[in-house]
Amino acid sequence: MIRARFTKALPLFELDVDLEVDGSTAILWGESGSGKTTILECVAGLARPDEGEIRLDDRLVFSSSEGIDLPPQERRVGYVFQDYALFPHLSAEGNVALALQRRDRGRAREYLERFGIAHLARRRPGLLSGGERQRLAMARALAVEPRLLLLDEPFSALDHATREEMYTEFLRLRERIGMTVILVTHNRAEAEALGHRILELREGKLAEERP
Amino acid sequence: MSPLGPILLSLRVAVVATTVTLVVGLGLARLLGSRAVPLKFLWEALILLPMVFPPTITGYLLLILFGRRGPLGKLLASMGMQVVFTWAAAVIASVVVSLPLMYQNCKAALLGVDGRLEDAARTLGLSEGRIFRRVTLPLSLPGILAGVALAFARALGEFGATLMIAGNIPGRTQTVPLALYSAVEGGRTAEANLYLAVTTVLAFAVVAVVGLGEARSRRPRRGRDRGDAAFGGRS
Repeated sequence: MIRARFTKALPLFELDVDLEVDGSTAILWGESGSGKTTILECVAGLARPDEGEIRLDDRLVFSSSEGIDLPPQERRVGYVFQDYALFPHLSAEGNVALALQRRDRGRAREYLERFGIAHLARRRPGLLSGGERQRLAMARALAVEPRLLLLDEPFSALDHATREEMYTEFLRLRERIGMTVILVTHNRAEAEALGHRILELREGKLAEERP
Repeated sequence: MSPLGPILLSLRVAVVATTVTLVVGLGLARLLGSRAVPLKFLWEALILLPMVFPPTITGYLLLILFGRRGPLGKLLASMGMQVVFTWAAAVIASVVVSLPLMYQNCKAALLGVDGRLEDAARTLGLSEGRIFRRVTLPLSLPGILAGVALAFARALGEFGATLMIAGNIPGRTQTVPLALYSAVEGGRTAEANLYLAVTTVLAFAVVAVVGLGEARSRRPRRGRDRGDAAFGGRS
């Protein structure tokens, strides 16, 4: 569960976010440059809101009035970056193992297996296809056993055919993990296909629509 | 005096100096590159100063600092140590003149690492120290290696500052550049030519290391993890 109410001044406008998602998948939909990624960064602790509060489950991770600002390391938020930000010098297994206590290679394999890429464990990201990279990014994000999963344009780097396949896979995953998910996209069709809810971000404010 | 003495001394001074320079240069690059440090421009100017100073001026400054009546010299004397006109002084001279090269290469290498990879590591719960060791450092290694090679070459060629603070004492502080100068001055052509040959070989080795490092960093990272060879050509 996430409850977030905060403001953050951007160069061209101010973000004024009021957001509550519980166990479902919410789509943050908006044009590029509308501040979608900044919202994710504020939730994950990679950017700092000017004012407000962010609560993950029962934990207050940010509060300007109480002077709380937990570092990303202590928030346990799974984050799939745009273009995935996989570590190019580590194997697929190494990418996941880095997220685990004591770099447990056995458990890293389990995560890769769950995403059907265990046979690629020793490959570096540079040798993986787009779909495989996305699966690896998902496996790595889930390896921290997050309270919340953030996905930033996870399908934009994929070709059309792979994208359709990954949509189906995501919908299955969504039901299986039952986790609170916030997915950022600028693609309307994608928003409608993948979300329980769609929140449109326009001029810094979120407006809810039912798909 | 065998020409082997200066060669071995030069190598010893350059290796020790490069090691010190690597630790100090990398440490400073991380410190000044990653956070807001007060008076940062001043510290950077101080580090880079020896690059624009004539080496003899740098050496003279070091002599003032480390001499018997200098602040650092007094401090060392109180601990029973004297560095001026010893091989340690040659190391100090080499460290100071090669630090700008190391610092700039390390700084550029560290800043060249995609910040999103470090952010990704943060969301995975890695401490800042582990992020540096496991992500930033391995990815900036080619640039750091180039810094090591250039600093080593600079240390090996150090003349002016070394002459001022370590002197030109055969068998004690006479490194290859100083020995070459003395050999030419004394008309010992064979010895001078030997130093030329040794220096040429070392210089080629350094250029090769820098070239390899650059080629590596430009190549897209498509290699696999170490130990994959054991799995044959599966792809």
